[in-house]
Amino acid sequence: MTSEAHAGAFSGGMTKVSGERVYRHGIAARTAHWVWTLAMLVLVMSGLQIFNAAPYLDASDKSNPARRVLAFDAVRAPNGQPVGTTSVFGHTIQTTHLFGYTDDGMGGESPRAFPAWLTLPGPQSLADGRRWHLFFAWALFISWFAYLVSAAVRGTLRELVMRPEDFRKLWPMQLYYLRLRKEPPPHGTYNPLQKLTYNVVIFVFFPLLILTGLTLSPAVDAALPWLTALFGGRQFARTWHFTLMVLTIGYFGTHLILVLTTGFWNNMRSMITGWFTLGEHDGVGP
Amino acid sequence: MKRRLFIASSLASLGLVGCGPVKESLTNGPFRNVLLSTEHLNNAVIGTHGLAREYKDSDVDRNFRVNGLDTPSDATYTSLAGGGFRDYRLVVDGLVEHPQKLSLAELRAAGEKTQITRHDCVEGWSAIGKWRGVPLATVVAMAQPKPNARYVVFRCFDVDQSGQHYYESLDLHQAAHPQTILALDLNDKPLDNDHGAPVRLKIPTQLGYKSAKWVSRIELVADFKAIDGGTGGYWEDQGYEWYAGI
Repeated sequence: MTSEAHAGAFSGGMTKVSGERVYRHGIAARTAHWVWTLAMLVLVMSGLQIFNAAPYLDASDKSNPARRVLAFDAVRAPNGQPVGTTSVFGHTIQTTHLFGYTDDGMGGESPRAFPAWLTLPGPQSLADGRRWHLFFAWALFISWFAYLVSAAVRGTLRELVMRPEDFRKLWPMQLYYLRLRKEPPPHGTYNPLQKLTYNVVIFVFFPLLILTGLTLSPAVDAALPWLTALFGGRQFARTWHFTLMVLTIGYFGTHLILVLTTGFWNNMRSMITGWFTLGEHDGVGP
Repeated sequence: MKRRLFIASSLASLGLVGCGPVKESLTNGPFRNVLLSTEHLNNAVIGTHGLAREYKDSDVDRNFRVNGLDTPSDATYTSLAGGGFRDYRLVVDGLVEHPQKLSLAELRAAGEKTQITRHDCVEGWSAIGKWRGVPLATVVAMAQPKPNARYVVFRCFDVDQSGQHYYESLDLHQAAHPQTILALDLNDKPLDNDHGAPVRLKIPTQLGYKSAKWVSRIELVADFKAIDGGTGGYWEDQGYEWYAGI
């Protein structure tokens, strides 16, 4: 079965073999997938813990309230009640319990940008948040690099990387998703929109998250000053780092919805055992 | 069936990371040593290379943010401050051939340099200050470290609420960095009491907590394990990394 699937991949790439079981994800891809899932979960939660220590973002090199993009705060209402606020480009809304004044993980609520149930560790601990974050940053970087090397060596990277013809198929694919077109454009292992999304996450979001994260470090700034300058300075890099985190969560939500709605068990099986049952429109190959 | 069980358990384990007691036991359990090991990797890979960016006069924060422990209020410090620090002597001792007791005038005479650098706090904020002072390397060289000296420990006047004195440490390589200075002036004026008068460390290649304020004594040691919590600094004893380059 494996050899047939691979033979299909090499001969045409768009063979329709509906109902057939193919070995879709190798051990490296599956391991990388789950390591990234865990790493992103830990990195987001510990990142929010770190963010809580200075709950604002500036579009500048040094901290500058005049260039503030996002800020969380806790203030007192005229009746004495604490109120959590969120300010985006100077526009402030009340977000008590959710942002600004939230669960402190100690049985009450405190001035805290993100609540304890969203952070790692739960209660306020910048030191421990950093320990978690820096360990899993290495886990993400090493698994990302190992995956790319393995996929390049084994040739499976060809199925993933966008090709010029994929760009022409993006709109037809979008129309199919919007039910304005009966059939998706013929494609290989991944449809063109899937490819584009995975390419953006793996080749843009991950590297930029790692690089913007690195430029928050004074020793990295001294060693690679051009990198910090490229992102607009340290605080700007912190803003990019946060923005990329939000975009990655946006990807994660979309990914989850599509996994759930396009044959959940088939998708899960393929990402755990590697074996995927081809649907009517699924192809194999690049 | 087995497969579904595996899927369910992996999803459950992911979900549990969001649960308080699990987060607590993972943070402080045996896994903690794995988390702590990252620091050595960061020090080995990133280390201390290159020079921190130096800025223009116009970039300086005129009201440089005051942070750290409270300004010392004990009798010794208050009396030194009251006398304009004329009686202050920076002690340099420990594993050195020639222990020193340097007045502010002697420190300035050792050769001052000015640098406008960014201060990056571990909390995430940054501020730019104009620092004038003596390279730490100059002062360490005056005392001549013995061959077994490996770390430079900074003893400080400030105390926390439990009576613990602030301290910090650098290895000799970090201490020899040309931008590691003992600052005496901030923004063209002698340091005021809130900013660490009369002498503070300023090391722009590491996070702010390394730049100890209110330095009273510099001690060269072979190892800092016997000092306070044994991890090389006040914040280090509370879980922060000794290598503060990242």
